[in-house]
Amino acid sequence: MKQRHIQHLYWRAGFGIGVKKIDQLKSKSKNEIIKDLFHDASKVNLLQLDLSEFDLIKNKSSKALKIEMGEEAYRKLRQKSQRKVRDLNYAWLERLTEPSSVLREKMTLFWSNVFVCRDNHIFHIQHFNNTLRKNSLGNFRVLVKTIAKEASMSKYLNNRQNRKKSPNENFARELMELFTLGIGNYTEQDIKEAARAFTGWSFKLNGDFVLREKQHDAGVKTFFDKSGYFGGDDIIDLILEKKQCARFICDKVYRYFVNPIVDQRHLDEITTIFFKDYDINNLMLYIFNAKWFYNDENIGVKIKSPVELLVGIRRVVPVTFTKKNQLNYLQKMMGQVLLYPENVSGWKGGKNWIDSNTLMFRMKLASLILNDAVINLEEKGAFEDSFNKYYNKERKKNKYIKTIKNWDFFTKNHLNLKPNELRDLLIVSKLDKDTAVLLEELRVASNKDYCIQLMSIPEYQLC
Amino acid sequence: MKRRDFIKRSSLASGLFFVPNFIKNIENESINNLGFKKLVIIQLSGGNDGLNSIIPYTNDVYYKNRPQISIKKNNLIKATDELGFHKSLAPLKNLYDQGYLSIINNVGYPNPNRSHFRSTDIWQTGSDTNEYLDTGWLGRYIEKYGKIPYSGIEIDDSLSLIMKGKKMNGIATKNPRTLFTNTQTPYFKKVLKYQSDQHLSEHNLGYLYKTMIEARSSAKYIYETSKTYKSNLEYPKNPFGKQLKTTAEFINSHLESKVYYASMGGFDTHANQFNRQDRLLSTFSSAMDVFVKDLKQNNTFKDTLILVFSEFGRRVQQNGAGGTDHGAANNVYIIGENLKKNGFYNNAPDLLSLDKNGDLIHTVDFRSIYASILDKWLEVDDVSILNKTFRKLDFI
Repeated sequence: MKQRHIQHLYWRAGFGIGVKKIDQLKSKSKNEIIKDLFHDASKVNLLQLDLSEFDLIKNKSSKALKIEMGEEAYRKLRQKSQRKVRDLNYAWLERLTEPSSVLREKMTLFWSNVFVCRDNHIFHIQHFNNTLRKNSLGNFRVLVKTIAKEASMSKYLNNRQNRKKSPNENFARELMELFTLGIGNYTEQDIKEAARAFTGWSFKLNGDFVLREKQHDAGVKTFFDKSGYFGGDDIIDLILEKKQCARFICDKVYRYFVNPIVDQRHLDEITTIFFKDYDINNLMLYIFNAKWFYNDENIGVKIKSPVELLVGIRRVVPVTFTKKNQLNYLQKMMGQVLLYPENVSGWKGGKNWIDSNTLMFRMKLASLILNDAVINLEEKGAFEDSFNKYYNKERKKNKYIKTIKNWDFFTKNHLNLKPNELRDLLIVSKLDKDTAVLLEELRVASNKDYCIQLMSIPEYQLC
Repeated sequence: MKRRDFIKRSSLASGLFFVPNFIKNIENESINNLGFKKLVIIQLSGGNDGLNSIIPYTNDVYYKNRPQISIKKNNLIKATDELGFHKSLAPLKNLYDQGYLSIINNVGYPNPNRSHFRSTDIWQTGSDTNEYLDTGWLGRYIEKYGKIPYSGIEIDDSLSLIMKGKKMNGIATKNPRTLFTNTQTPYFKKVLKYQSDQHLSEHNLGYLYKTMIEARSSAKYIYETSKTYKSNLEYPKNPFGKQLKTTAEFINSHLESKVYYASMGGFDTHANQFNRQDRLLSTFSSAMDVFVKDLKQNNTFKDTLILVFSEFGRRVQQNGAGGTDHGAANNVYIIGENLKKNGFYNNAPDLLSLDKNGDLIHTVDFRSIYASILDKWLEVDDVSILNKTFRKLDFI
């Protein structure tokens, strides 16, 4: 397989590829490479923090704990557990930089922006995240049904407040608008009826799903012109009967993995495949095997998400962050903090990542983390912050990102590369012709310097 | 030859051959055809408690619901026989007395959302409660009428949704010098110096170069224009004071930018609200006081309209921690010299008819305020920005 095509595949199915791996794969056929990729992804490696110190929260109600421990002690424990969500964020980012199960992790990241959810209950959100991971290459039907029963989702979209006497439509609405069909493919009446079917869907303290029979409306519902004693799972089945559902998801998949500009013929093609059985693995296999996937117009045309950018750099030069909260700063400044989506519609992606400040920041990212450069931009405070905390970042005018860089790894791997080989390794997008001239005329002092320079041109923002 | 002249000459000389047309275009563009009026929007972020800012001091329901945190009759500045200002809002009361302040009560939207994130999105995009827009209302103004990124400036380091358009965004900067320095990184300068192409293509690579070029020329324009005026008034020494000072310097140096946005944080007073809000309101109003003086002194107050809002108000009933939880409708302040209707624009909130959460019910849709400002102040077609027709108010 051609190097350029291997790089394309690995950028879309993962977070880029190192020179060593390319050398290993070059002699293999496309078929073999894709087979390996999927084989590697078949293992499920869950993301699990040690949360034993918070087991109490999982097993006893807040009411009981307040009495047992005292309000103050309970509040502290609760707050400490909430801060663990940050740790889960760091653990997830670290996971993405590891070279194994790239495809499964990429799919998990993709689904996390379809089934958008936010929760400060560390047990529930970790479980939610692993549900995405487990099902990321499985069956879409199972995925939707499982997600609908997750505690975090139940809270995020108010499904646990959805009761027979006063239905809450939030989950039913977003299920159709954002998760399966897209706006305009159902009526307000469909939402009302679907909401009834999900009444009584709730969860236990430990996060396990429970159907509260008393709150559940077991009556006849009329949904999409069909009537029956539908429950929530039936509603999901009825939604999936619509080809529009397969199309809606395939459209998202296409924009994310192939090209932000959709080719309708290709979309029709994959929709037909996906609609047959909603098998995600088959869908992705089909796409990565498709001849058109490797067309020039699909290579290097996607604007990297902040996470893809950050992880991509760290895969070329391994970097350890000595201050973990600086990872949070980087994500915030670029507008994508994993596990903290700003709203249920998720990150818009593409050009929406870019404004004058974020672009400047993104182009400086390589020198920030690899070359001790400084940036004088500050992150915004959070809504919940006090006035002082809202602005307290103010004091640090210049931001140094404290990292340990493993340049030995880079040097060992890239020692013999000629400048144009390094260029082709790092830049998958078409090169602007003027910038190409600039690169030709640059005096390359070392591959290390050249690496940072290449990572600082607009082309590196694309994959 | 002086350095400045040299730069001028060399850029003139190189302009003939090397400066891409696109850069020339934007640097020669002017938005003065939109007139001289400015709009400054301040968000009191976190949800300011409107009921303890403008106090219904003759209403028993208010005192009954807030045994610990209500503001006593003798501890406020009476304005009408119904409503009074929090003591820390004395400078605002001053503006009120001069006829420079209009307070609109009960502003909100149908089916209010009580999440900071979501409700801020709704206020910033001008959407319905169930509608997800990815452009802000000022962003759409910038794109449609300003046509240059710096026609809107957010006084912060990262850009909020309010300033984002489909293909063009406003500029975020807290310190024009910093922004300028960041864009002048030697390596980036070099990349741009090599550019001869126009990059008008819609594709992502073209878009990146275009954004980079726009950032550079906007930063240059903002920095070089705004440094011609330095405020000689003493602003309170806190970050919000600094944001307003920077805004005044932008306006008083006659930067062509039309709309400004800044947010002041800290208003999420779930606990120990009494003292906290006292400090917050005082920080807010003392900076606002100097800001208005600064503009007046430079004869720009007559062309500036200030809108102050929060993403929501707070619950009528206090909570167990001496604070208040997220609510719904709230009051909005409009500050300017030529208000058509100053003082209280409408009736005080009705504390007897609350929604099922115990929150104030809105009587004025916030987008009516936007529509009025767009139509009567910025003099553009409000429907093209808000995508819907809203009843206009006559405060301006």
